[in-house]
Amino acid sequence: MSSIAAPKRIFPTFDQVFQGFASQIGMLREMAPPPSLPESVRVRKAVATLIAETNADEAVWLESCIRCGQCTNACHYFQATGDTKYAPLRKMNLYRRVYQRELGPLRWWYRLVTSPVKLSDLEALQELVYDSCSECGRCTMVCPMGIDIASLVHHQRSALVAAELVPPELEALRMEQKHRGTVFGASAEVVRQLVDTIREQAGIEIPLDRDRAEVMVLSSAVDLMGNGQGLLATAKVMNHLGVDWTICSDGFESANFGLLSGDMALWRKQVGPIVAAAERIGAKTLVIAECGHAYPALRWNPMLKGGELPFEMMYMSEYLGRQAKAGRLRLTPIEGRLTYHDPCKTGRRGGAFEEPRALLEAMHADLVEMPANREFNWCCGGGAGIFLLERATRLRDESFRIKMQQVDATGAGTVVVSCASCRLNFEAGRQKNHWDKRVESLVELVADHLVDEPRTGSVMPIRGEAA
Amino acid sequence: MTLLDFARGPAIHWSLIIMVTGIIWRLLGVLVLTRGADLSRPRDAFGNFKGYRTVFSRAWPSGEFRTTTRYQTAMAYGFHLATLVVVIGIVPHIEFITSLTGASWPGLPNAFGVGAGIMALASLLALVARRVSKPGVYCSNWGDYFSWLVMAAPLVTGLMAFAHLGLRYETMLAIHILSAALLFAWFPFGKLMHAFWFIFSRAQSGVVYAHKGVRI
Repeated sequence: MSSIAAPKRIFPTFDQVFQGFASQIGMLREMAPPPSLPESVRVRKAVATLIAETNADEAVWLESCIRCGQCTNACHYFQATGDTKYAPLRKMNLYRRVYQRELGPLRWWYRLVTSPVKLSDLEALQELVYDSCSECGRCTMVCPMGIDIASLVHHQRSALVAAELVPPELEALRMEQKHRGTVFGASAEVVRQLVDTIREQAGIEIPLDRDRAEVMVLSSAVDLMGNGQGLLATAKVMNHLGVDWTICSDGFESANFGLLSGDMALWRKQVGPIVAAAERIGAKTLVIAECGHAYPALRWNPMLKGGELPFEMMYMSEYLGRQAKAGRLRLTPIEGRLTYHDPCKTGRRGGAFEEPRALLEAMHADLVEMPANREFNWCCGGGAGIFLLERATRLRDESFRIKMQQVDATGAGTVVVSCASCRLNFEAGRQKNHWDKRVESLVELVADHLVDEPRTGSVMPIRGEAA
Repeated sequence: MTLLDFARGPAIHWSLIIMVTGIIWRLLGVLVLTRGADLSRPRDAFGNFKGYRTVFSRAWPSGEFRTTTRYQTAMAYGFHLATLVVVIGIVPHIEFITSLTGASWPGLPNAFGVGAGIMALASLLALVARRVSKPGVYCSNWGDYFSWLVMAAPLVTGLMAFAHLGLRYETMLAIHILSAALLFAWFPFGKLMHAFWFIFSRAQSGVVYAHKGVRI
């Protein structure tokens, strides 16, 4: 039996990575541009955005709330603080007001009895739809009307993009990705340098920019700018599988600050080069890095005609889980009890429940589920960009205690996550609370438990095997 | 025209006209809006249809939330079932429905009707007591309390008329019918419309999640 440990490190440990990111995030606040439009224009654009994004689905959900308060049972921010302003049903109020005044069948009445939205209303909304809602969707699981509050929150994020009211950390990264095409400076050159470093120092080949490949793998800014171990682990696993794979330097970034901030145009723009690269190289499979929100940004992108694409999109845990089920991964047993945290975006809001568990099972893991798991899993508190927001620190810290209780109840010494954002948030919580748990990435865990064989860790021939 | 004649005549008839017209207006006003298209490929080719199960499955809280929603669930079920018994089980109500539709069925003994009325009122009181005692959870607005009053009034006045309490019987009966008229007239404008919305809302979310292979 092997334990959870990497034999040799050429990159920083994840707690060092976390420290590095924490200091970078602090600087983001200074980089955000100030609002440039007049107040009235910002308000008008926000209202226009909500009107444009309201279809019958949104209208029905906005009409349906009976204020029964049940959603408060499900929200980690409300449960952790008991503060009424974080009640999920309140997060729909401004949207409902706009809908009732502008679109609803009784708008003639609501224009008489409600006041128009003001900039101060939108400023107050910022905390409700960014800081205190990770769009995890747990409230939908308890709502007797089944209202999808998370999607209504996301529309309001779009409205706040139009009103120039994105929190500064998210705004800085949105602007960077919009104008420079990078996140935290992760450019094509950085990818090339990291690929060289991994080849030279770890002896592991990463096929970069191949003309043709069956499998195209994405990376993420967290791996490229801090946690090189993540990309190294991905390469080890892909090489072990012996598949025909590549990373494209013109379409490698999983992170999408269009989706996170609510900027639909940027969301669409960022997806374009990835799809173009995958089509160009004839990929059959696109593997999305462990970056939770990238799954809905790509796989569940409602603007992308998925059925017409010549390739299938999978999250890393999904891809590896399928490989494990097919017996293509040879893994050594893992020691010690562990539990698995379903990232909201890949779990409840993504449906990739079975594959990561199949992967852990392939390592004969002593997997103990948390009391609330799968579609009922509690969010770690850092999703949907909240990990980046300094102002949300108290909310994150307090809601993370729920997660700690859930993990503690399993008796596991290790919690496995498959999302860089969750992992950073877990690491922050672990350090702040002196929590005696290990936090592991699923792909890195798999890389550490590959059965050694000659081809592993070396430049290997491409077999041309379909994923 | 006596007050009772007014209540039995123009008041109740106009309230029903307002209710039916209002319900159609509000439903159509929402449902004629365009539907947003999700172009992503569903997890299972025909999986989305499974989402419609949510219309029925959400009638009962999942095990995860059974304890935390126990009070609300018990009282809400108590109220809805008891109110249904009162509305369609009491002889005078059946006679009223018969006068409108021609349909008829045997009524329940008075004791059942009174028992159901008391149960409906008690559960309604229990619901509002919790709403008032936990303002931070319910985030109520005036419409919530107005709908509660409009719903409670026919129950209170009906029980009072049956028990010959308060004003003389004919006046009490007229007030009871007028309170029912107010309920009918208010129905399309407030939260009572959830009697229709729940079907669409649950179905939509069920399909959104089923698209991704998640059962909610």
